[in-house]
Amino acid sequence: MNNETVISVKDVHKSFKLYYDKGYSLKEMILFQSRRRYEQHNVLNGISFDVKRGEAIGLIGHNGCGKSTMLKLLTRIMYPDSGTIDIKGRVSSLIELGAGFHPDMSGRENIYTNAAIFGLTKKEIDERIRTIIDFSEIEEFIDNPVRTYSSGMYMRLAFSVAINVDAEILLIDEILGVGDVSFQTKCFNRLQEIKSKGTTIVIVSHSLGQIEQICDRSIWIHDGLIKEEGKPKLIHMDYCDFMLQKRQDKEAAAEVIKADNKSSPENPANASSEPASEENAPAAEKRWGNRNAQITAVTVTDADNIVRKVFKTGSDIFITIDFTVKEPIRDAVFGIGIFNRAGVQCYGTNTRLDMLEDFDITKDGRTVIQLKNVSLLPAEYLIDIAIESGNGIPVDYYREACTIEMVSTERDVGIARISHEWKLPND
Amino acid sequence: MKIIKEIYDYRQMIFSLVRKDLRGRYKGSVLGFLWTFINPLLQMVVYSIVFSTIMRVVDVDKYYIFLFVALIPWIFFSASVTGGSSSILASKDMVTKIYFPREVLPIAYVTSCFVNMLLCFIVIFAVLLISGVGLNFAALCYLPAVMIVEYILALGVALISSAVTVYFRDLEHILGIVMMAWMYFTPVMYSETMIPEAFQTLFHFNPMCHIITAYRDILYYKTRPDMSTLLWAGILGIVFLVIGFVVFNKLKKRFAESL
Repeated sequence: MNNETVISVKDVHKSFKLYYDKGYSLKEMILFQSRRRYEQHNVLNGISFDVKRGEAIGLIGHNGCGKSTMLKLLTRIMYPDSGTIDIKGRVSSLIELGAGFHPDMSGRENIYTNAAIFGLTKKEIDERIRTIIDFSEIEEFIDNPVRTYSSGMYMRLAFSVAINVDAEILLIDEILGVGDVSFQTKCFNRLQEIKSKGTTIVIVSHSLGQIEQICDRSIWIHDGLIKEEGKPKLIHMDYCDFMLQKRQDKEAAAEVIKADNKSSPENPANASSEPASEENAPAAEKRWGNRNAQITAVTVTDADNIVRKVFKTGSDIFITIDFTVKEPIRDAVFGIGIFNRAGVQCYGTNTRLDMLEDFDITKDGRTVIQLKNVSLLPAEYLIDIAIESGNGIPVDYYREACTIEMVSTERDVGIARISHEWKLPND
Repeated sequence: MKIIKEIYDYRQMIFSLVRKDLRGRYKGSVLGFLWTFINPLLQMVVYSIVFSTIMRVVDVDKYYIFLFVALIPWIFFSASVTGGSSSILASKDMVTKIYFPREVLPIAYVTSCFVNMLLCFIVIFAVLLISGVGLNFAALCYLPAVMIVEYILALGVALISSAVTVYFRDLEHILGIVMMAWMYFTPVMYSETMIPEAFQTLFHFNPMCHIITAYRDILYYKTRPDMSTLLWAGILGIVFLVIGFVVFNKLKKRFAESL
C-alpha cells in the first residue's frame, strides 16, 4: 500500500440556480425570460482536499452544508462550476441503492442489471454472483420477481450488489441503516474488511460514531468551506460543541421572544386578578400551599448569568427563586426536585437536608441555588421548587416551575453520569 | 477517446438495458412480442392499399414489397430519433442518482431499436420469398454494411436529440413533425428516380436517401448497391456521430441538475 493520492479535489465551487418557476418549453424560455427569477445558491465555495489510497474519510456538517453535494461531485453525477476533481480507479457509490432494479425481473437478473450499472462485465458478475447472493441472505427468493420482496429484502439485495463490486473507491451516503441490526453489523464488518483490503472510502453521515469507527480522517464542511479536518474524535468534539452553541443561541433567541410576548399583555392582568383568585389559580394542581409566601419567578442561568434552557452535561446551573412574603414564615425551607419526563425523580434536596436551618423569611427576597457540575444525561428535565414552613406545611409548592434540557457530546446512557475510570487487563 | 473506452467498459449495462427494453416493450399485451412483426405488416398493408389503389403515382411491380423493404429501415431510424430523444428523461432516476457514462442510454435505446429491425428482417425475408421476388445472396452481402451505416447515423442523431431534450422539452414534440417531413423527403414511399432534377442536390445531402435506396437495391432490385453514394452516406453518418458525441459530452454535465 503506497501513499498515492487517488482522490484530488482542488478549489471546487458549485452553485445552483433555484428557479421559482422553471420553464422548459420554448414558450416559457422565450416569452417569460424576464419572469424566470432565480436565486443563486452557492453550495460549495472552494473546497480542496486529497485522499490517499486506502484511506477512509468522513464528511460531516449540518444539513445543507454541502457535504452531499460534494459526494455527488465525487460520484460524477454532477460537475463542479470551477475547480477540478481527479479520481483514479473504479468508483462504486452506495448513494442510491437498487437503482435500475426492475420489479418484474427476478433477483438474480436484477443482480446482473444492477452490477452492470456499476460497470461490471458479465464475466465479472458471474464470478461474484455467489458472494452477492450469500451476502444478501435471500437465497431462497433469488429467482422470484423483485416486486414480491419486502423492502428489507430489496435493500439487502441492493446493498449486497453495491458492496461486492470491489470498487477501488467506495462512496457512501448515510446508508448504514439497511435491514435489521444483525445485517447492519454484517455490513459494518464488511466495510471494515473492504477497508483493510486497501479500498478508499468516503462516507457522508450524521452518525459520528460510525465515522469514528471506520474513518481515519474527518472533514467538517460548514457553509461550503472546510472548517476543520483531522482525527475524527477531535473534529467531532469541536463539531458537537459548535452545534451545541448554535442550538443554545437559538433557544436563547426563542426565550427572548417569549419573554417579550409575556411581559406586556399578561402582567397587568395578573396584577388585577391575583387577589381574587387565590383558590382557583390557573394550573391549580401544579401548585399548592397556604401561600403565605409566594414564588414569583424562577430563572435558570448559566455561570455567566445568561438565561438558558439548554445545558451541557457537567456544567453549573444557577436557579434563582424570587418570592414575595405576605406573612413571615418561621423556620422556612427551600426545596428543589428534578424529574425526568417519565416522572422519575432524578434528584431532590432542600435547605433542611443541607443543614441550613433556623432561618425565617419576613420580606420579599431571592434565593439562589447553584447546582454544581450537573451530571444529568441528555434529556429534558422538569424542576419543582417549593417553600415550606418549619412544621412541614407547604407554603408554595410549585410543580414544574421550570424545565431544562441537557445535551452532551458523549454517548453514555442512563440518568446521570457517574464519573468513572477503566483499568484494562494489560496482557 | 477516453469516453469510447468507458462505454466499452459499460457494455454489460448496454446489453442489459437492451434486454430489459425488448422484454419490457410488449409486457402485458396479449400478442406480446408478435407486435414487433404485426405492426410493420399492418403499416405496409395500409400504405400499399392507399398507394396502389388510390394514389397510383408509383408505377412499380409489387409495390407492397417496394415499400416494405424501405419502411422497416425507416421505422428503425425514426423510432431511434424520436424515442431516443426521451431516453435520458425516461431514466431520470438513474441519471440523478448514480454515475455511468450517460451515452449508454441513447446507445442502448438505438441498439434495441436496431435489434427490433433485425427481427423484422425475418418478416422481410419471408415476404420476399413468399411473394416470389426471391433473394440474391451476392447482393445480401452488402446488407450488413448498409445497416451499420444506418446505425451510425441513427445513433449520431439520437445522441443530439436526447441531450438537447433534457434542456428543451419541446424537442420531443417538434421531432414528431420533423421526422414526418424527413420521411417525405426520403424516397420511402416513392422511388428516387421520381425526385425532380432541381432537388437532386438537396436529396444528396440527406444520408437517409442513400441508405433507403441501398436497402431497396439489395432487397427489391436484387443488385449490389451504389457504393459511392453509400460511402457518402457513411461519411455523413460519421459526421453526425462525431457531432453527436461532442454535443452530448458538453451537455451531459448538467443533466442531473436539470432533471
